[in-house]
Amino acid sequence: MSSLINSARAGARTRVPRFAEAAVERARLTVVPPRRQLGRTQAARTPFAVLVLVMLAGGVVGLLMFNTNMQQASFKATALQGQVNDLTAREQSLNMELDRLREPQRLASAAKALGMVAPAQPAFIRIGDGRVLGNPTPSSPADAVRINPLPSELPESIKPKTVIAKVPKKLQKTSGTDTPGTSTNVTREGGRKKASTQANSGATR
Amino acid sequence: MRLRIGLLVIAMLLSLFGARLFQLQGIDSKAYATRAAQAGLVSIELPAKRGRILDRNGVPLAESVAGVMIVADPTRTTPNAEAIAKILSERLGLDYFDVLSKLTKKNDQVRFVYVARRVPSTLASSVMDQLRQHEYVGLDTRSDPLRTYPAGDVGANLIGYLSDDPAKFSGGLERSFNKLLAGKDGSETYEVGGGNRIPLGDNSEVKPVDGQDLTLTIDRDVQWYSSRVLRTAVEQSKAESGAAVVMDSRTGEILALADYPTFDANKPGRANVKDLGTRALSDVYEPGSVEKVLTASALIDAGKVTPQTRFTVPPVLPVLDRKIGDWFNHGTIHLTMAGVIARSSNIGTAMAATEFTPEQLWSYLDKFGLGQKTDIGMPGETRGLLPPRDQWSSLTRAQIAFGQGVSVNALQMATAVNTVANSGQLVSPSLVEGRATTSSGNEVGTATTTRRTVVSPEAARQTAEMMELVTTQDVGTAPGAGIPGYRVAGKTGTAQEVGGACNCYADGGLAVSFAGFAPADKPRFTVYVVIKRPMDGASGGGTAGPVFRKVLSYVLQKYAVPPTGTAPSTLPTKWRPRNHG
Repeated sequence: MSSLINSARAGARTRVPRFAEAAVERARLTVVPPRRQLGRTQAARTPFAVLVLVMLAGGVVGLLMFNTNMQQASFKATALQGQVNDLTAREQSLNMELDRLREPQRLASAAKALGMVAPAQPAFIRIGDGRVLGNPTPSSPADAVRINPLPSELPESIKPKTVIAKVPKKLQKTSGTDTPGTSTNVTREGGRKKASTQANSGATR
Repeated sequence: MRLRIGLLVIAMLLSLFGARLFQLQGIDSKAYATRAAQAGLVSIELPAKRGRILDRNGVPLAESVAGVMIVADPTRTTPNAEAIAKILSERLGLDYFDVLSKLTKKNDQVRFVYVARRVPSTLASSVMDQLRQHEYVGLDTRSDPLRTYPAGDVGANLIGYLSDDPAKFSGGLERSFNKLLAGKDGSETYEVGGGNRIPLGDNSEVKPVDGQDLTLTIDRDVQWYSSRVLRTAVEQSKAESGAAVVMDSRTGEILALADYPTFDANKPGRANVKDLGTRALSDVYEPGSVEKVLTASALIDAGKVTPQTRFTVPPVLPVLDRKIGDWFNHGTIHLTMAGVIARSSNIGTAMAATEFTPEQLWSYLDKFGLGQKTDIGMPGETRGLLPPRDQWSSLTRAQIAFGQGVSVNALQMATAVNTVANSGQLVSPSLVEGRATTSSGNEVGTATTTRRTVVSPEAARQTAEMMELVTTQDVGTAPGAGIPGYRVAGKTGTAQEVGGACNCYADGGLAVSFAGFAPADKPRFTVYVVIKRPMDGASGGGTAGPVFRKVLSYVLQKYAVPPTGTAPSTLPTKWRPRNHG
């Protein structure tokens, strides 16, 4: 293209006076080369469009996969959370069991079952010189401390009572033919019966 | 032309959309929003975990574990009610008929009933699994945190109890440290789909702030042992109640504070309301002869008497319009100050106290902390009663000197006696390890311990030597309270309780007590025991003394305190008048 301009310039110099040469040079119109000849932009467009499409598709697919992944993670999180809850609950239950086993009351009952009692008098052996400090005394069952409360007393109202009914003298006279002591037998039996029914009702409860 | 028609169509469509948009957003947007929320939004409360209450070794005395409540919709459970009730009653220990009636439909309105509350979650989930296997429907679980007290009745008097609304109904430390323990509940709102959380969905969360743990100075084992020994003594003497305090002499840390009767912290509802508190702090009584320890140490500190000071003790001592007598009948006897303490003579103490003006004795007792709250962080503490200085007559002085006419709570008295054990320095007792603030804003704990000198170390030492005679065979009033091999300082107390309709001493109730510490020459532990209203024949030495000995031997052994091996006190208790008769 530059050679073309140069040849035109050479032609012009021959016809135009020298002083106007610069102006002519400025005013000269040249034909713009057809767009097609610029072709390089046309050539660059296709890869660009492809690139955009690929990015779009990639984005959509990526987003979809990302979302799916998130969903998967969410399912997993729910499942794991459930597992965490289960395990926490189990740990706590085991800890509670441990607490129960370590409870002084339980240990004391176990020790008592083995026939142990708390020492009545503390005494020590000093490791350094082997001296015995305090009065070591073997403990006896009398030193035992009761670890369970006394059974609570029954309230008066449900204690079994023996009812003593006195037979009026008049009645005794009329039933004089009976063997003496019958009346007491009756009351005693009555009392016993009452006591036994109460004991029964207590047992069923 | 075609273009125009196209535009028109588009415009019409858009305006339709606009109208719908207006209808949705402008007219009843809220209704739709709530419907959307109902469809997919889940809002849950995130309960803060309540802090634990631990003993000095970190063993939990109260803790919160995950629990659930089982709820039911009777309209759906009715068809299988019997089978479900059978499973629930067997597995959860519920009453079959009770459950059955809850699960049976009464009308269509009731669609929600509580079947069981505070069930440990593992148990609940296994029960629910079992129900699911049988395909019984209509039951569900909800979170319901569970407060457990692994030690049951041990320390329940201190720990207290809790209800669904702790601000209204609770007791003990659970009440006074509710703010600290409770923490702050949070909440969370999120969208769910098919039971799973929708990622990137609406989500807001306020994290819960868990409650803080509260560590006590209590040793659970000591607390357990003292409560069992105390219970046995109260039961044997058929007494109304009793209290025992074990204190570290040097730091004022309370290792055990037992009360009987008490309650099972896991079942406070079953207890007698009167047993729910801490009697050791809320009940007042007259300390009786234990008070003589304070009087004697004050007299020695002021230089008024020495353990050897001689008293000629008459059979009765008239003061104003009253006559003061002793617990044992005697003619005129000759006791030293040490003998007055060892034999627990009221007359001797009253005579010694005349060395003081009422003001002087008052100010000593005030310094010993009588009439003042110990403020260890427990609710419901009484301050006791030390009559105001200007109301003292010479009779008041005589009576108060041996423990009448003044009232205290068990911890106050233990603290006062501990002053003698701690070289004359009163160290404020503490129940909480470190530092903690109660709901009412009081800061308590071992870090806030205060010390003040009440009597000189020498006066304290001499008093301890006199107290040693109390547990000495053939000399003192309570040889049964001594531990062979150890030097044990102690003092018995037997006081008449004011009560009955006349509000006087006449009804015959007693408060027998024993206070002391060991080893007498280098005290490590102070133990105080009081048993109220025992049956006839009880005395400080005979009833409270053995409790004291057992509890003290236990702590000495547990904390490996060997005997000091020094020679026991040999102060003379009697004197022989030279030209008598």
